[in-house]
Parts: sequence; C-alpha cells; structure tokens
Amino acid sequence: MSITPTTAKVGDTLPPLTFGPISRTTLALYAGASGDHNPIHIDLDFARNAGMDDVFAHGMLSMAQLGRLVTNWAGQDRLRGLSSRFTAITPVGATVTCTGTVTNRFEQHGRVLLTLKLAAHIDDGTQTLRGEAKVCATPS
Amino acid sequence: MGIFDRTTKGQVTPAIEVTLERGALQFFAETIGETDPIYLNPKAAQAAGHPDILAPATYAVVVGTLADQQARRAGQPDILARINGDLRVLLHGTESYTYHGPMYANDTVQVENEITDFTDAKGGALEIAHITTRILHPTRGLLVEASRSLIHRLPEEDSP
Repeated sequence: MSITPTTAKVGDTLPPLTFGPISRTTLALYAGASGDHNPIHIDLDFARNAGMDDVFAHGMLSMAQLGRLVTNWAGQDRLRGLSSRFTAITPVGATVTCTGTVTNRFEQHGRVLLTLKLAAHIDDGTQTLRGEAKVCATPS
Repeated sequence: MGIFDRTTKGQVTPAIEVTLERGALQFFAETIGETDPIYLNPKAAQAAGHPDILAPATYAVVVGTLADQQARRAGQPDILARINGDLRVLLHGTESYTYHGPMYANDTVQVENEITDFTDAKGGALEIAHITTRILHPTRGLLVEASRSLIHRLPEEDSP
C-alpha cells in the first residue's frame, strides 16, 4: 500500500520523480514560460563571455520538480512550505531525479504536519538541490 | 567592495498588480512536465472544486518576475536593477515559499518586494542579497510569501 500524508511515518519515502534529459529546447521553453530571460541559461555566447563552458539549467526548473514530487503525492492543498538550496549547477543533457523522505511528524496549532527532506540529483550522482517541504497531515 | 547596491537594504517596492493568465499558467505547467489536469484543464480543475486551474507550487517565482516586467514597462527599476545585480556573476542561492492559499488562473494579485539584507560569505568571495516577495489577493489576503537569496561570485578586485 502506498503511503499518504495522513499515514506517513518518519523514514517513509515518496515515489521518486525523474525529469529530463534537459535539452537546450527545454531551457528555451522554461525561459519563455517562467519569464526568466537570464541569458546565462539560453545564450551560449553570453555564457562563454561570463567564463562558463556552456549554458546551464535554471535552478528553478529543478525546484519545480521538487514541487511536483510533493504536490503529486500530497496534493497542493496540503503543501504549507517548500524551500531549496541550489548546491550545484545542472548542465545541459542532465536528467534530474527528485527524492523525498519524511523526517518529522509533529503537531502545531492543533494540526499534524510533516517535514520532508528533499533532494535533486543528476545522472553522475551530483546533488544539485537540497530542499525541505512542510505538508499538512491532518485527516480531511 | 561588492557589486550589490547595499544602500537599498530595507527598501519595500510599491505593490504591483499582476493577473495570472490561464494560457501562461498552462504553458508553465506543460514546460515543467506537469500532467495533473488540475494545473492544465479548467474543466478538470472545476470538477475538483477549484474556480480555475491552479498555479504550480513554484509559480510564485514567475509572479515575481511578471511584477518585475510590469515595473520595467512602467519605467521603474526591477528588483535586479534596484540591487545592481550582475547577471554575469549572479547565482541563485536559495528559494523558499510559505503557502497561505492557492493561486488560480485569472486571479489578480498584488506583489511587493522587500530587500531585507546583504551578507558576505566565503571570506568575501561571495556576496548575498536577501529578498522577500509577498503575493496578496484583494479578498483572500496573503497567498504566498517567497524568500530568495541571490549570490554574486565576486572577481578578486571586487571582493570587499
């Protein structure tokens, strides 16, 4: 039986989510869809002038996957908080795998809340995002 | 010294009105690979009890960017211009959301930014700007509070 927010215990893991491989087309589309037109993600000339070998993915594209990981599992109405630290650059061509583990279950103001530890890793094992989510676990 | 304009610490930008367009929300949801119809299909969203399609969890950053676009169109500096961000050396450090209520297609919200602080890290090799964005709805109140840190990788001659 798959776990749900109301039944989840500390140590339980969410079904992982993968996204990618992230192509240059994906980055162009994300720039348009998000309005983040920072050329470091879409313009190779600009990236090289800035001392990079290549463009790299928007960190927020990977954080969007952490968001999907949690909301696909818990439903967006249960999501209370989502945070992320961007720990490494995601290169073009990478596939991102997102994982989540329940690290705390506690009561606050009469509600049950879960803390989830989240992570995004790319194919070579590099961790690119380290995150956390707060999810309401009170039965509806 | 660093590149950020630290005299802007404490500034709160005037509230900017942003309407969440349905087509833009669908484009975003498709681009991030979202398949749940409550983010894509108005009929499915309504069948699930929502007035229209939902904004995905990280759409708050887009609402902030849309507010920046509105500011530029009105001849006002956007948040990066205010703090003197330099895209050649800028990195996104952290992003954090606290959710108080959902955002839907066709919502018109007010967006305000606060430049909360500037800090240094790695012995001055990095400087960090801390910005909080609040998204408010006229009747449903505060929907999302977002905090982010933006990092400059400082060239040696610019290190504080």
